[in-house]
Amino acid sequence: MREFLTGNQTVVRGALRAGCDFFAGYPITPASSILSDFVDAFADGGGRAVQTEDEIAAIGQCIGAAMTGARALTATSGPGMSLYSENIGLAQMGEVPLVIVDCQRMGPATGGATATGEGDVLFARHITSGGYPLPVLAATNAATAYRLTHEAFNIAERLRTPVILLSSKDIALTRQTVDLDEIPLAEKRARTMHGSDGDFHPYRVAELDDVPAFAPIGGPARVRFTGSIHDEEGLLTIDRRKIDRKLRHLDAKIQGARTSLELFDADIDPDAEALVICYGATDGAARDAVDEARSMGRRVSRLTLYSLWPVPGDAVRRAVTSYVRHLIVPELNIGLYVEEIRRVVRHGKISSLTRFDGGLIAPRTILNAVMEGFCG
Amino acid sequence: MSRAACPESSLLTARRGDMCYCPGCSHAAVLESLGAAMDRMGLRPEEVCIVSDIGCIGTADRYFSCHTFHGLHGRSITYAEGIKRARPGMSVIVLIGDGGCGIGTAHLVHAARRGIGIKILVCNNFNFGMTGGQHSPTTPPEARTATTPGGAVERPFDICQTVIANGAAHAGRFSALDADLSDKIEAALRSPGFALLDIWELCTAYFVPSNKFKPTSFLPLSETFGLPLGLLRDMPTEVASTHQPEPPLTSRPSASPPSIAALAWPGRREICIAGSAGQRIRSAAGVLGEIAVAGGLFAAQLDDFPITVRKGHSVSELIVSDRPIRYSGVDRPDLVLILSDDGARRLGELSSLPAGCRVIADAAVTLPVIKASLQFIDLASLEKSSGRASAALAALCLGVLVQGWLDGPTVESAVGALGGRYVEGNLAAVRAARGCFDETARTQPHAALFPEAAS
Repeated sequence: MREFLTGNQTVVRGALRAGCDFFAGYPITPASSILSDFVDAFADGGGRAVQTEDEIAAIGQCIGAAMTGARALTATSGPGMSLYSENIGLAQMGEVPLVIVDCQRMGPATGGATATGEGDVLFARHITSGGYPLPVLAATNAATAYRLTHEAFNIAERLRTPVILLSSKDIALTRQTVDLDEIPLAEKRARTMHGSDGDFHPYRVAELDDVPAFAPIGGPARVRFTGSIHDEEGLLTIDRRKIDRKLRHLDAKIQGARTSLELFDADIDPDAEALVICYGATDGAARDAVDEARSMGRRVSRLTLYSLWPVPGDAVRRAVTSYVRHLIVPELNIGLYVEEIRRVVRHGKISSLTRFDGGLIAPRTILNAVMEGFCG
Repeated sequence: MSRAACPESSLLTARRGDMCYCPGCSHAAVLESLGAAMDRMGLRPEEVCIVSDIGCIGTADRYFSCHTFHGLHGRSITYAEGIKRARPGMSVIVLIGDGGCGIGTAHLVHAARRGIGIKILVCNNFNFGMTGGQHSPTTPPEARTATTPGGAVERPFDICQTVIANGAAHAGRFSALDADLSDKIEAALRSPGFALLDIWELCTAYFVPSNKFKPTSFLPLSETFGLPLGLLRDMPTEVASTHQPEPPLTSRPSASPPSIAALAWPGRREICIAGSAGQRIRSAAGVLGEIAVAGGLFAAQLDDFPITVRKGHSVSELIVSDRPIRYSGVDRPDLVLILSDDGARRLGELSSLPAGCRVIADAAVTLPVIKASLQFIDLASLEKSSGRASAALAALCLGVLVQGWLDGPTVESAVGALGGRYVEGNLAAVRAARGCFDETARTQPHAALFPEAAS
């Protein structure tokens, strides 16, 4: 059944489909309707929705609830992400399954609350101290916001990690035609639970890239949670071997899942000479532009990235087929992610197309860039 | 009452000598009293979570056999609330210092106000011990610390009165050296609402030597700065109980999507409606979008509005198409409705609108000369028949009729079938549009509503 929904509405629907039962948030444009929709959704007692005193408390309550076994989500915009920073580090160190939705807006600081922008793409990856990785996904429209919210829960549960899903004003608040029943979803995943027998070691892993079994705070197995450097019992440690093992594990569990974390949509012409690589709200314009270029006889491919971190390097390399000599990377920021593409693709011309005044990049702008490559 | 905990059966598993605290530090005494209180209450380890903040007291979690949670500075209160909300049956106890109450003041105040039944023990030793003896929010005036070498000058933070003023069910200020501290803690733990104890301590590493501070210093400190010791708030259980519920949640009705007859629509059409906040511009675009989607078409609606609510422009870009829409921006509108000067200003340069574009503007709006086909309507007159709240939708419907994209009966039946909270107003809008549009002569709209065309 087709519906006329905003990206914020589909985030909530995707979360509920993924079993989300705890939401805490603080009002902020353009994310606020996620909060009010969760309040409505949980009015039946199927979960808890809390409006907190600030963003710090919002993510803090989510972390506390998640450690009791809840499937928690919080949503904000750039200024709130800045306030989440410290607690995202806590969720990394404590290995908390948590989904964080960033409805991006234009510019730094309060920027343009009601204007679009996608300038948090590097910030999301480097949002907290220490330098350890966390998965970052990017929705392109209301439909993918639904699918990727569901996927973000799967990743968070499987890897016991915070996962950031990027949206932006013109996804969050733009109403689009979607049929949620037609959107294929991966099988719902749950965190690996500690069995009822045997001692519980809150952070024990056999291999570095394993994920520790979970026991809920409040359950029969005593949980020791900490954001300080700890051993497998959750106890503060100064033993360098244990420190090394813990921190390698935080990196390895994400890097080890790298392949499964590559989410993208590739529309590849093996004879393509140009390739448009896009993510976020530029995807729709890129699709229209590529179709138009093809109708004009040009050989063009398109790669839409749904996961930004870890960088889906294999997908990018595969999209750069033999004859591709021109890459076009449209972004609603000053040209941030194109540098990651340049790290992966070391030959050919790479054009950065940018817009950051609150407007969208039009299909014609991308088409012109594609055609310029053919003329030049 | 004995403070000595028994490591074999107690939730407290460490003896004083095995704890990491400086000789003479009061933290150990507080932990022993907490352990004794929990043991007396018969709390089982799986039903208790100790949430430790940051600083010396933040290391205390390891000395307990129950669930423990050690997080960030000042934020322990937020984790405790999350745990308590998800597991209301648990005893959730925060161990926090005076520094934590400073950096986490917002959480302290609002946790007290919300009345979620978490318990907070403030281990208040008047300075930051772990980081080198800097002054804290509770450092009394004239006290010497690493950051107040000439003596502190700020008024000390009254933690108890802060939470009492904001609804704490139970609050008291005691000395860590009180022989019956475990009784005080037990009373706090038994309170069904938000409870906080401000427990005064000795920091033997810094505050004691720097200020010749002694156990006998507590009383004059209390009297000098008006920080009374003792139990300061103890709501009766029945009052405190009503103080900790989850906030009542109310559901707004959500209509199930309607099913209306399939609509025929001539390809992809881009519409721009520009007006002011309060004209229900976005709602108008939404109604057309909804009937399009319910009628088997595709729609996308991208809104542009400033941060103000009932002031400033409101512009909706609406695309309705018989094919899926991938790019939601309107770059080449087929129909532009300009319903206020705010809207006209926001659209700015109109000269780039193509000749095939129809612009319908309120006659009161100031417009530049444009290439596109321009017609004026009298919005005030339209408002009279549609109602003010529905005038934008009436203008939009008129535009759709003038363009010949849908006919009047189809729009009216679709809007009726759409239903919803505003269906009467929406129908009034459609009828107003139909009333001023001659359906038999599509290109000859009603003169009164098109003053420019009539002249």
